[in-house]
Amino acid sequence: MTMKTSGRTASCVFAMGAAAVMLGTTAMANTNATTMTAEVILTGLQSPWDMALLDDGTMFFTEKCHGLSVRMPTGEVTPLLGMTGTEGYPETADDLFCEGQAGMQGVAIDPNFSENRQIYVYSTSSMTAPGTNRVLRMTVNEDFTGVSDRTDIVEDISYKPEASDQPFGGPGAHNGGRIRFGPEGFLWVTTGDIHGGTVPQSPTELGGKVLRIDTDGNAHPDNAAPEGFDDRIYTYGHRNVQGIAFHPETGAAITAEHGPWHSDEITVLENGGNAGWDPAPNTAGRGDCPSNYCGYEPNQFEGMNRYERAAYMPMTDLESYPDAMVPIWDNNGWSQGTSSAAFLEGSQWGAWEGALVVGIMGIGFGGTPIGQRIDVIELNEDASAVVDVTEMTLPIPSGRFRSVVSGPDGALYVAQDAGTIHKLMP
Amino acid sequence: MTDRLRIIVAGVALAVCAGATAATGTQAADLAAGEKRYNVNCVNCHGKAGQGMASFPALKGREAAYIAEKLQTYRAREMVGPNSAIMMSLSSDLTDEDIANLAAYIADRFQ
Repeated sequence: MTMKTSGRTASCVFAMGAAAVMLGTTAMANTNATTMTAEVILTGLQSPWDMALLDDGTMFFTEKCHGLSVRMPTGEVTPLLGMTGTEGYPETADDLFCEGQAGMQGVAIDPNFSENRQIYVYSTSSMTAPGTNRVLRMTVNEDFTGVSDRTDIVEDISYKPEASDQPFGGPGAHNGGRIRFGPEGFLWVTTGDIHGGTVPQSPTELGGKVLRIDTDGNAHPDNAAPEGFDDRIYTYGHRNVQGIAFHPETGAAITAEHGPWHSDEITVLENGGNAGWDPAPNTAGRGDCPSNYCGYEPNQFEGMNRYERAAYMPMTDLESYPDAMVPIWDNNGWSQGTSSAAFLEGSQWGAWEGALVVGIMGIGFGGTPIGQRIDVIELNEDASAVVDVTEMTLPIPSGRFRSVVSGPDGALYVAQDAGTIHKLMP
Repeated sequence: MTDRLRIIVAGVALAVCAGATAATGTQAADLAAGEKRYNVNCVNCHGKAGQGMASFPALKGREAAYIAEKLQTYRAREMVGPNSAIMMSLSSDLTDEDIANLAAYIADRFQ
C-alpha cells in the first residue's frame, strides 16, 4: 500500500489579527471575522472537488482527474481509488475518466458508516458509451487503505461526450456532481444540463435534475415529479447544480446553482418542482440556437448587461412555467460560479450559527466582478427567504471555492480548485 | 475597483512600462509587466503557478512563442477551443507588447 504524505500535508496556521476588515453594520457583521483562523489541511492537490468527514476528523476527498483518497486525523494521506491513467493508488478503475468539468466529483459517507463502512462517489465513467456519470457505492476496509465491493447504484446520469458551439463548450460541460445525504438518510444527487437544450425539462434524461434515492439507487417512495418522469427525480429544470445542503431546522433541501452569464441561484426545493430552466431551441420566443442550446443567448461570446440576458433567457422562466420554484437569491443578477453550499453548525459561529454558506469561483467574464469568495447567507426562520448576505472575511487568499463542508468539529472545510483544502475556524 | 478599471489601470501601467522599454531601445520583454498583467487577466483561471485548474489548462512548460501565438489568435477572435469566449474577452485589449510580456513571463516563471 502506497502512502502519500510528503508535500500534501501541511499545518500552517494563519491568524487574521487586528487587520481584519469588518463588513458593514448589519446584524450579520459580527466578531467572527476578527477571530477566524485557517489551517492548511492539504495542499498540492489536483483540482480537489469534494470532501466528506467522519466524526473523528477522517476526511475522504476527491481530485477531479486523480481519484479518491482519505486523510486520517494524523494528517497521513492514503490514496484509495484512482482513475484511468493514474499512479500511486492501490487500485485504479479504468472506466473512470475526467474531461473538462467532468471527472471524480462528489463524495458522501453513509449515515451508517460505523456499521457498513460504505461511501459514495459521483464520477464520470466510460463503461456505458459514450460515457455517463455514475454514483458508486464502495466499502472502505478497516484500516482505511483500500475500497472494495464497488456497486454503481446510478449508472445513467447524462454526460456531454462531444464539444458544441458554446462557451465552455468542450466535452464534460455542466456536469453537476454533488452528492449529500439528507436528514432522512436518503442520498441526494445533483446533475447538470450537459449543454443539452431539451435535457433539463426531459422527463427521462437525468441531466439538469436533483435525484433522491436510497443507498441501493432506488427512488425515494415519496418523490413526486410529474407523471411519466423517472421516479428518482426530486426536482427538474435545473442548469448545473453543484451545491446542496439541508436546513438544520426544517430539513429543507436547498441548492446552489451556476447561472448562464447571469443569475446564480439559491433555491429551496419543492418535491416534484420545476426550477424553470429551459434552454431548448424554439421555446419561449427564442428561435434556433447554436448546437440546439439557447442557454447563453442572445449573445454567447460578448459581455452584455446581465438583466437584458436574464429577460431573454431566464434562469427561472416564470412566464413559461408559472409554478416554477422561485429562487431566494440570485447573486444580484451576476453569474460568478456559485458552486457549493453548507450550513454553519454550532454556537462557536455566533451570529452566523445556522447560516448558509456558499463557495463562489468567479472568473470575471465580460465585466462581471470576479467575486471569488464565500458568502454567508442568513435565512428567515422557515428558510423561505434570505434575510441578509455577508461576504466572509477570510484569513486566506481568495480563490475558486469549489467545495464547502461543515466538519464534525464545527469548522468549515473549504476546497479551492488551485489545490488546497483549508479548515476555517471561528 | 471594478475589473474594467483594474484592466485600465494595468493597461496604463503597462503603457508606461512599454514606453520605458522603448526609450531604452531594447526589445526585451518586461517580465514585471508580464507578471502584473498575468495577475489581472490570467491568474483566476490558470492559477498562481500556472498549474491550471478545473477546465482551465495548465500553462507550465509552454514556450513563449506558443503563448504569444495563442493570445494573438484569441485577440483576432478566432475560435481555438471550448474556452475561446473567455479568452477572446480577456485578450481583446492586449497590445503586442502586453502579449510579448505575458508570454515571456509565463515561459520564464512556469517551467
